[in-house]
Amino acid sequence: MTAHIVAAARRGSWLPSVPLIGAKFLELRRRRVLVAVTAAFTVGTPVIFYGIREIYHLSDPARYGPAGAGAFANVVTLIAEFGFIVAVMLGATAGTSDLTDGMFRHLVITGRSRLALYLARIPAGLSILISLAAVGFTVAALATAFLSGAEPASLVAALPGDLARSGLWLELDLAIGFTVGLGLGSLMGQRTVPVVLLTVWQIIISPQLADHVLPHLINAQRIVVGVAMDQLKPAVLAGGVTVGPTGGIQPAALPAMPTWAMAAVIAGWILGWLAIGAWKMVTRDA
Amino acid sequence: MTTVSETGGSPRPPGDEPARRQDGDWAVEVHGLTKRFGARAAVDDVDLLVPRGCAFGYLGPNGAGKTTLIRVLLGLTRADSGTMSLLGIPVPAERRRALARVGAIVDEPRFHGHLTGRENLKILAAARGGNARRRIGPALGRTGLTQRADDKVSAYSMGMRQRLGVAACLLADPQLLILDEPMNGLDPAGMHQMRDMIRGLADEGRTVMLSSHLLDEVERTCDQVAIADHGKVIRSGPISELTAEAAAAIEVQCSDPPAAARALAQPAIGSSVAVTQGGLTVTLAPGPAGEQAAEIYRRLVASGITVYGLRQTHASLEDWFLSVTSRLEEDQ
Repeated sequence: MTAHIVAAARRGSWLPSVPLIGAKFLELRRRRVLVAVTAAFTVGTPVIFYGIREIYHLSDPARYGPAGAGAFANVVTLIAEFGFIVAVMLGATAGTSDLTDGMFRHLVITGRSRLALYLARIPAGLSILISLAAVGFTVAALATAFLSGAEPASLVAALPGDLARSGLWLELDLAIGFTVGLGLGSLMGQRTVPVVLLTVWQIIISPQLADHVLPHLINAQRIVVGVAMDQLKPAVLAGGVTVGPTGGIQPAALPAMPTWAMAAVIAGWILGWLAIGAWKMVTRDA
Repeated sequence: MTTVSETGGSPRPPGDEPARRQDGDWAVEVHGLTKRFGARAAVDDVDLLVPRGCAFGYLGPNGAGKTTLIRVLLGLTRADSGTMSLLGIPVPAERRRALARVGAIVDEPRFHGHLTGRENLKILAAARGGNARRRIGPALGRTGLTQRADDKVSAYSMGMRQRLGVAACLLADPQLLILDEPMNGLDPAGMHQMRDMIRGLADEGRTVMLSSHLLDEVERTCDQVAIADHGKVIRSGPISELTAEAAAAIEVQCSDPPAAARALAQPAIGSSVAVTQGGLTVTLAPGPAGEQAAEIYRRLVASGITVYGLRQTHASLEDWFLSVTSRLEEDQ
C-alpha cells in the first residue's frame, strides 16, 4: 500500500515526470504522417531548395551561380514560414490528441495532475520540432558554407554570431507556433480550426500588420507577435539591412520597438496561450 | 448480510446506519448526490453503498444516469451536491489518493489508434507511476491480449478494446474496478469472456461495480444490484433477495387447459391463471409455493383432468426489474 501512496503523491505534482514526457513524445513520434510533414517542411525545404539550385549550377555554371550563394536568408525565411504552420499543426495535435482519441478519460482516471499531463506536451512536442528545425537550419548553413563557390558569402564572413542568432530566431519562431497551436487546440478541443485560423493569421494577417501602419493603432499592432518577431529578425536574414536598436530590421513603416517590448510581446503570447490551454485542460469535463 | 431497502435505499447491515460505520467498509459510498445539466437532474439525490469484494451491478434503462454517476465518482465532472467516497477515501477532496487503487472504463473504451495496445498501456502506466509499468505484461496476459499486444489498436475489435480497457484498469492493481457498460458491442463469446473476467476479479476479493442495461448479463455476473431510473436509485440489494420479491409461477401441462383454468378459478388459486398452448401458467399468490402447487394438482385431478407435469419457474432479474418499474409507473 505504501508504494501506492507514494505513487499517488507523485501523481499530485503539477510537474510532469520524465516518463510522462517520454510517453507523450512516443505518442507524437508515432504519428508518422505528421512527423513526415514536419520533416518535409523543416528539413526538406532547404534540401530541395539547394538541390534544385545545385542542379542548375552544375548544368550551366556560367549562367547559374553556386547553389549556396546569397540564398541563406531566403531559405531560413522559407523554413520559418512553412515551419510555423507545421509547428501549429504539431502543437494543436499535442493539445487535442488525447481528447479526440478518447485517451483523456483514461489519463484523468489515473489521478495524475491534469496540469502535469498538459505540461508534458510542451517538451514532448518541442523536442520533435526543435530537433528537425535544427537539422534544416544546419543544412542551410552547410550549404551556404560549402556550396558558395568562390563567391564571397556574407554569412560565411559573419560566422558565427549571425549564424547563431539566425538559428535561435528560427527556433523561437517555431516554438511560438507550437505553443500557440497547443493553447488554441487545447482550448477548442479540436485540431482543424486552430490550424486553419493560425495559418490565415500567419500568411495573411500578421504580415499585413507588420508592414503597414494603422493610424492610432500602432500600439495595438505592436502586440502582434509576428510584428515583434519581424523586428527581432537578425540582420543577416534581411539581406544585411540593419536598423533599430537591437540590430534587427524595421518594417516598412512601423516604428522600431525596444528590445524589452519585443521580449514582453513574445513572452506574453507564449505564456498567455499556454495558460489558456492549461486552464481549459484543468477545467474540462472528461 | 444486507437488507433490501426501498426508494433510494442501499444494501446495508440491519440497524447499522452508514454514518456510524468506519470509513472503508464500503467500496463506494454515495449520499445525496445530485448532478444537474441545466434544469434536468441526471443524478438526483442518490444514496448508494457498494460493499467491498463483490460484483455489483448498477442497472437502469438508457438515460437513467448511470454513466453520469460514474463520471462524477471518478472526478470526470463535478457534482452539484452530495458526498462520496471510494474505498473509504473522500472524493473529490482526496481524489488522487482514492484513484490510486481504482481502475475504470467510462463509456466505450477508446485509445490512440496509431499506437499498439502495449504502447497505449505504457502511456497510462507512465501517468500512473509506481509499479504500473511492471504490470503491463501480466495485465495483457490476464486479458488474453498478449498475442495482439503489438498490433495497432486501430485493428482491434470492439471486444479487444474492451479487454484492453480492463488491462488498463489492472495497471493500478485495483481494489475497485468501475466498468461502464462493459458488455456493450460484444458478441456472445466476448460477453462470456468478459463475464468470466469480471467474476474472476471479484473472486480475488476486488470490488467490481459495473453499469449495464443488459439485465440477463448482470444477473449472471453480479452478486448485488441497484436499479436506477430517472436519476434516482429505486432499489438495491442482493439479486437473490430482490428476485424473491417477484411473483413466482407454476407452469402446468395438462389434457384440457380451458377446463383446468375453470377448475382453478372457483375458488381462485394464485393471483392469475393464463391458458397457454398445451397447458396454463398460474402466477402464485404470496405464500409457500409448494402448498399452492399441491393444491393445484389436487384440484385438477379431482376435476378429471390429466396432469402431465408441474414446473415452478423462478423470477429472473428482468421479471423483477419489470415488476418494479411497472409498479413505479402505476404509482406515478
